[in-house]
Formats: sequence, C-alpha cells, structure tokens
Amino acid sequence: MTAPERLSGWTRLTTGTADVDIIGRRRTWYIGFAVLIVICLLSLVFRGFNLGIDFTGGSQIQLPANGAAGVISTQQVEQVYQGVIGTPPEVTQAVGSGEAASIVLQSEPLTAEQLIPLRDALFTQLQPLGPDGAPSAASISDSQVSGTWGGEVTTQALIALAVFIVLVTIFLAVYFERAMAAAALVALVNDIVVTAGVYSIIGLEVTPATVIGLLTILGFSLYDTVVVFDKVRENARGLLKLTRRSYPEAANLALNQTLMRSLNTSLIAILPVLGLLVIGVGLLGVGTLADLALVQLVGMITGVISSLLLATPLLVDIKLRDVRFRDQARRVAARRARATPDGDAPAPDTLATVSSSPPTSSASRPTGKTGRSRR
Amino acid sequence: MAPSSGQHHVRPWRYLTAFLGIVVILYTLVLFTGGGNLTPKLGIDLQGGTRVSLTARTTDGQPPPRDQLVQAQEIIEQRVNGLGVSGAEVQLDGSNIVITVPGDEGEQARSLGQTAQLRFREVVQEIPAGPAAAGAPSAPGSTPPADGSAPPAEGSAPAQGSAPAQGSGTGSGSEAGSDAGTGVQGMGVTPERSTPVAPVAHTAPLQDPPPPEPPAPGPGAPAPDDPRIAAEVTQARETRQSADPAVQAQALLALDCAAVDPLQGYDDPARPLVTCSEDGTAKYVLGPTFIEGTEIASAQAQPNAQGAGYVVSLTFKPAGAQAWGEYTSANVGKRVGFVLDGDVVSAPSINVPILGGATEISGQFNQERAQQLAQVLRYGSLPLAFDSGTAQTVSATLGLASLEAGLIAGAVGLLLVLVYCLAYYRLLGLLTMLSLLLSGLVVYAVLILLGRWIGFTLDLAGVAGFIIAIGITADSFVIFFERLKDEMRDGRTFRSAVPRSWERARRTILTADAVSFLAAAVLYILAVGEVRGFAFTLGMSTVLDLVVVFLVTFPLVVLISRSRTLGRPGLSGLAAVDRIGAQHRRSAPAPGRRVAVKGGRA
Repeated sequence: MTAPERLSGWTRLTTGTADVDIIGRRRTWYIGFAVLIVICLLSLVFRGFNLGIDFTGGSQIQLPANGAAGVISTQQVEQVYQGVIGTPPEVTQAVGSGEAASIVLQSEPLTAEQLIPLRDALFTQLQPLGPDGAPSAASISDSQVSGTWGGEVTTQALIALAVFIVLVTIFLAVYFERAMAAAALVALVNDIVVTAGVYSIIGLEVTPATVIGLLTILGFSLYDTVVVFDKVRENARGLLKLTRRSYPEAANLALNQTLMRSLNTSLIAILPVLGLLVIGVGLLGVGTLADLALVQLVGMITGVISSLLLATPLLVDIKLRDVRFRDQARRVAARRARATPDGDAPAPDTLATVSSSPPTSSASRPTGKTGRSRR
Repeated sequence: MAPSSGQHHVRPWRYLTAFLGIVVILYTLVLFTGGGNLTPKLGIDLQGGTRVSLTARTTDGQPPPRDQLVQAQEIIEQRVNGLGVSGAEVQLDGSNIVITVPGDEGEQARSLGQTAQLRFREVVQEIPAGPAAAGAPSAPGSTPPADGSAPPAEGSAPAQGSAPAQGSGTGSGSEAGSDAGTGVQGMGVTPERSTPVAPVAHTAPLQDPPPPEPPAPGPGAPAPDDPRIAAEVTQARETRQSADPAVQAQALLALDCAAVDPLQGYDDPARPLVTCSEDGTAKYVLGPTFIEGTEIASAQAQPNAQGAGYVVSLTFKPAGAQAWGEYTSANVGKRVGFVLDGDVVSAPSINVPILGGATEISGQFNQERAQQLAQVLRYGSLPLAFDSGTAQTVSATLGLASLEAGLIAGAVGLLLVLVYCLAYYRLLGLLTMLSLLLSGLVVYAVLILLGRWIGFTLDLAGVAGFIIAIGITADSFVIFFERLKDEMRDGRTFRSAVPRSWERARRTILTADAVSFLAAAVLYILAVGEVRGFAFTLGMSTVLDLVVVFLVTFPLVVLISRSRTLGRPGLSGLAAVDRIGAQHRRSAPAPGRRVAVKGGRA
C-alpha cells in the first residue's frame, strides 16, 4: 500500500476514506430486498424444503467404500440392499475421499428385523475394511430416526428463535435507541427469510443442524449491525445542534468508515466456515459439518449485506420520521446553499458552544458505558 | 476489567502476567488432577459408538416432571451399567434421555429405554433352578392359578381371549417352597446386577408409526416392536403365562434360567407367570399381579432395629397401601414375589397383616444387598414411557475420519485467517495469530477440564462450533485494528491512537460478543441433541475470546506502539492511514480538532 498522494480505490476503501453513497440509494436497496424477500417467500410457499431424514424418519447406513476386494461401488450396495429388503433404497451416494471415503445409503425406516440381516449381508458380501485394514462388521454405521425427532428439534429451535429475538430486542433497546433496535430486527428477519429462501430455492437438504445453524447466524447478523450502528451513533452525537451534516450523511459516513471493518469481519468469519465446508464435504461428504458450514455461509453473506444495505438505510428512514431530524437536515441543506464554495467551514459560533456540551437526550441516550468513553 | 481512560497508565505487562497466570493455573489443573489424561472427552461421532435419544412420552402432552426424568435417568443408568461396557453415559437433555455407549459394543443400548416393570405377584411355588429338567421337584399339578385380587393398577378392563376370568377374593394356592422362615427373603446370594438388562438384540423400536402389535397381549402388557422378538414373546406367553397348571408345571421344568428370557419386560401382568429368580438360582410359579410397583411411595435400607443386619422399609401410596393391606391380611404365612421385568428379585413371606402401608422386609441382608433391593423397589419401574427419537451407531472408522476432518478443517480455517490477517495487517496479523494460538491453548485446557468436571464431551458439532468461533475471535481484533485506523486517519499517531481506539473498540467488542454469547446461551438452554455441543463451544469461545483480547492482544498492541522499531506504521500495514493522518495534522489543526493530537511520537 505504498500509493503516493493520489489514493487508489482500494486504499480509500481500506483506510475508510471511501465515499460510497449507500444511504442515498436506499430506495434501490429497498426494492432489491423486497424482490428478494418475495421470491424467497414464494419459494417457501410453493417449493418448500427438501427435508432430511431427521424430519421424514428413516434409516441411514454408512460403510467404508474400501472393501477387501477393492473399492465398493454404490451399485453393489444397492444390489445387496435390494437382495435383502426387496425394494431399492431411496438414496445411495459415495461421499468423501481417500481413507475416509464411504457410501451412504438412505431408506425408508427399517425394522430391526430388516436391519440386522442387511448389515450382515453388507458385511459378508462387500467386506468393508475397518480402521486396521481388516474387514470389519463394526465399520458399518447406521442411524435410525423417527420422523418426530426432527419435528422436536425444530420446535425447540423455533422456541429458541422466539426467545432469542425477544432477548435481543430488549438488549438492543437498552443498548441502542429504539430506532436502531427496530432496524436491526428488520434486518434480522430479512436474514432468516432469505437464508431459508436460499435453502428452498436451491433445494439444499434441511437437517436439524441446518435449523440450528440458522439460529447462530442471527448472532452474526446482529454482530455486524452492532458494529455499524456503534459508529453511526458516534457520528450522530450532538448532531441536532450542529449544521455540519444531516443524519443520513452521518450514517453514510459511518457506513464508509466501517465498510472495510464490516467486510473484514465478515470475510474473516467466512474463511474458517469455507474451510469447514470444503474439508467437511471433501473428506466426509454429507453430515453435520457440511450442514452447519453451509447454512453459516449463506447466513453470513446475507447478514453482512443486510447490515450494510438494509439495516442502516432503515435506521435513517426511521430517524427521519422524527421532525427534529428532518428540520436539522433542512438546516444543513440551507447552510450549504448559503456557504461559499470552499465551504465545509462550519459556522464557528454554533460549533464552539456545542462541542463540549452533552447531546440532546433523544439523539443518543448514553448508557453508563457510553458515558464513560466520552470525555 | 480494564482501567478506564487513564491513557498513559496502561500497564501491558500486568495484563500479560494475568494471562500467564491463568494459563499456568489451567495447565497445572490439567496435568496434576484427574490422572493426567491429556485428551478431551470425545463424543461418539468422533470416536465411534452408539447414541440413543429417548423422548419421554406423556399422555397429556405436558412436559414430564423433572423428578421423574431424573428417576428414569437413574434407572437407565443402572441398566447401562449392566451392559458392562466402560465409558457409557446416560444424560438428561431437556426432556430427553441420551444414552451414549462408546466403542463397537453398544448395540444393546438401543433397547434400554423400555419400561421396566416392578410387580407384586403371589408366589405359588418355588423350586431350585438346577440344570434344566432337574429331577422331580415338588411340582404338584394341584396349584390352581391364583387369580388376582386387585387388578393391575393401570391396566383397565382386561379384554382378552384366553385369559381366565378375574376372580375376586384370595388365591387358593399351595404353600410352596417355604424354605424361608420368618420373613426371610428367598435368596441368599447377592446378585451382581440389581437391574436386569433388556433383551440383547437389535431391538430398535424406532419406527413411527410402530408396526402392528402382535395379537393377544393383555391391556397392560407391553409388546416389542421387533417382530422376531414379538413372536418369541407370544410363544413364551402361551406356555409360561398359561393359567393351566399342567402347562405351568411343564414350563417350570423346561425353563432354563441361564438363557436369555424373552419375556423380560414383556410379561402380561394380568396372568400367572413361570419365571426365574433374578440371580438364576430358583424358579417360581407366580400368580397374577396384585400391586404394581408404581404404587410404592418410598423404600430404603436401614440397619435392623431388632438385631444384626439390615432391613428394607417400604411405604405404599394410599391405593397401594389399601391393596397391600387386604392382600397381606388374607395371605399371612404365604410368600410374595417382587418381580422386576419378569424376574423375581426377592420373595419374602408375610408374617403379619400389614395395614397402613409401612412395611419392613427383613432377611439375610448385608448393607449392600439391602440397598440394592431398596433401590429396585424405589426405582424398579421407569416412571415414564419413552419413545426412541434417534438411534445412531457410528463406526470407529467413521468417527476417526470425522475427527480428522474436523481437525483439518480447523487448521485450514486458521491458516486462511492467518494469511488474510498477515496480508492485511502485517505485524498486527502476526499478533492476531499469536492471540488465536494462545486462545487455542486455553480452549484445549478448558476442554479437558470440563470433560473431567462436568462430563463435557466434544462432538462433531462442537468442533464445528470452535471452527466457526475462530472467525468470532478474529473479528474482535479486526474491530480493534480498524478502530486504530480510524483514530490515525483523524490525525493521531500510532502510539496515541492505541489507548483511545481501545477504549472505543472495547465497547463494541463487548457488545458484539454479548450478542454472540446470547445466541449461544439461548441455543444451549433450549436446544436438544447435538446442537448443545455446538452452542456450548461457541459460547465458551466467545468468553475466552474476551479474555484473550483483553489480556493478550490489547497489551501486546500497546507494547508494539511504544516500541520505536516495531511501531513503524509500515510494519503494521498502517502506512496509508498514517499518511492521511499526517495530512490531516498538517492541514487542519483547526479549532474543532480535539486536543490530544500533538503529543504524538516524539
């Protein structure tokens, strides 16, 4: 980053001196989000989800793809299955690679009477290798899930979601202003709907791990928003008594100052998830790791986008419903109109009286903590 | 936790020493307590094994009472211990009971959730259990079925084909096998297991809806879901639960106490039963159930007030006390069998009518045996019925592969973050890395300790939680560093910007971490199943993140900022911002600018 005086776009971005007008184009973002939400909702209603075995109930058998007689193919497994059960399995797939390569078979719920001979047959006919390189019946994994289990997990998750939203609302309302809490919540709901929508549209399998992952991304989504709003609040401190900039401008400045921070935090959060996804899928194929990683990835991306393009613009619009902020914006515009071209020089008298006086009560309500960090 | 605004009084070494202290304490605990096992406890999806989740079923859809769940957990724990595999665990998770059996031997765990039934039956006849078909016991064909006095507690009308009509009054019954003198119970030897293990088979009652029940079990009689076992049960019921004395006698002779009993847990309470004692030393012909074990209010072992040894004292709930009183009054001198899951646990004889429900069982008890019996009586019946939610057997191969994949994914994630931070923050990136590694060090120690103290097991979802938490931890640094840039952009030098930016970043970090922690805590408290591991590690990482950021990252940045060589902006990727800041300083020492700026680097 040794650019000379003229700053490149990248440097401007990294140094927080970029001047992207995000707030000014908020109508565009609103339309974009509205379209996205509608598409997601339509897909949710008409396409629904591709529910995993935990929701539908069923049996899953997993065995190493390495057998005593070489690599076991999915066809072989299907044949054995058909031989024992009579019908073909629902899904058979080879997952993972190398030592950990395995074959996963999903079927309708099997009774113990079917399962035991099936495991026996899989072992005797295919000779899957155990960890020590010798054929081992114990190397075959199976899981049985009742359809109610996924339902229970989901019920719990929905309860958790509701509790979380209530707690977070309280938290935000105490920590921030009400307008900020409202804007953050809208962004949160947006993230939930969009993530769910992406799952529905692409047809990714929904497992309990997915449902849970969805909950944790809410934490992330808010995290991003909190960072931006913290800066907005700082920039807007004492704003009403000044005519230096209007609330939308203060918010836009905050966005620009934190743009790299938002992108960085999100990117850094996404990197390990990406690693998790690639390694999880590459080595193990399906399963908890992949499910958790995928939903986090989708959620984090929507989370950062919505915190930048939805939460802050919404905050501005909510704020502008307040007459005082509208008036102040008008005063700013009026002052600009009067000002000379070299103009950012603020009217000295206003500034001098204000810079050390506390802000008006509604502009920001300092809590104990915030009070301390001001001087 | 940090001193507030005193900008120039930050003492970085103090923080670092505090952190060092924490690390030393943690690792002292790790190394010198708990036998020095240096690996965290792994979940079965990482080491292979079987996990079964049982969901308590209540008739009214209400959440099951906590004390009943705890009771059920204790009973299932006893059964699991009966399996003889080491490291098995039974945990309460919301209204679920999760049975975890590591290794390849855990298949039986799938059937542990069946409801054990403690029942009181009349002892009609007892013979020693020799080798099968032992010579001529006193088996008289004379014993008519003693048809129950009180019908079983919960079973309603027994509408059953071949069942004998319910007579009232007392059973006739021959006085059989009264080797027990005065209130002595029938068994000398202490059986190892106080609770029998459920049928060893692939009983996975998991389907939903369950397959059609085999025909003709009594209303209170359970039926296994596995058709093979169901067939065995039906057959055993025909012979061993017959009301026909001739069939009973034959069944008594044929019964092999060493074999696995298919009727275990599946006996029909309304009919007579031919069965063994729990330790396999005696065989019995028993009458129908007259009191269910659920009528027991309490049972405990006590030293015998009259002399040496121990007694078990027992109280019944009101309805049970009533039935017990009636039965004992009518059957003084006879014996009564306490039957758990079809096996006779104890068969004391009745000395006097016992009214009011308070009963004392005396016999050749030592303390251990008395306690065992008391426990069986107290907990013999699972207070709740359970549905099997999930049952999962993970092979050791797959477990190992998962563990490897998790570790590799973690390493890759860490590496990606490192590369990014180094490229972007240079020296500060290195600092990030150091902090992350130290954080990892603490996490590892805490994992081991939690495994020892609260039985915390690390599962695959937990590993995922840690990997995702790498991002959260690094985020805190980013917030701090970007704050630093903000301050420098406004004209501060690196050195003067550090304390100031920390003050602001600290608040944001606390807020952001609070939100993350809130999410994790809510998940942990409310979620079920493997999710909890995920939430736990995520929440724990968030807390440890704070520790590391406050005690390591911040003081190290302070040290760097004070060092002439390390503090050069170029080294920290801060050159560009510094230039902008310098411009700022030159162009605008205007009135609006706040003070502290000029005291920059000297």
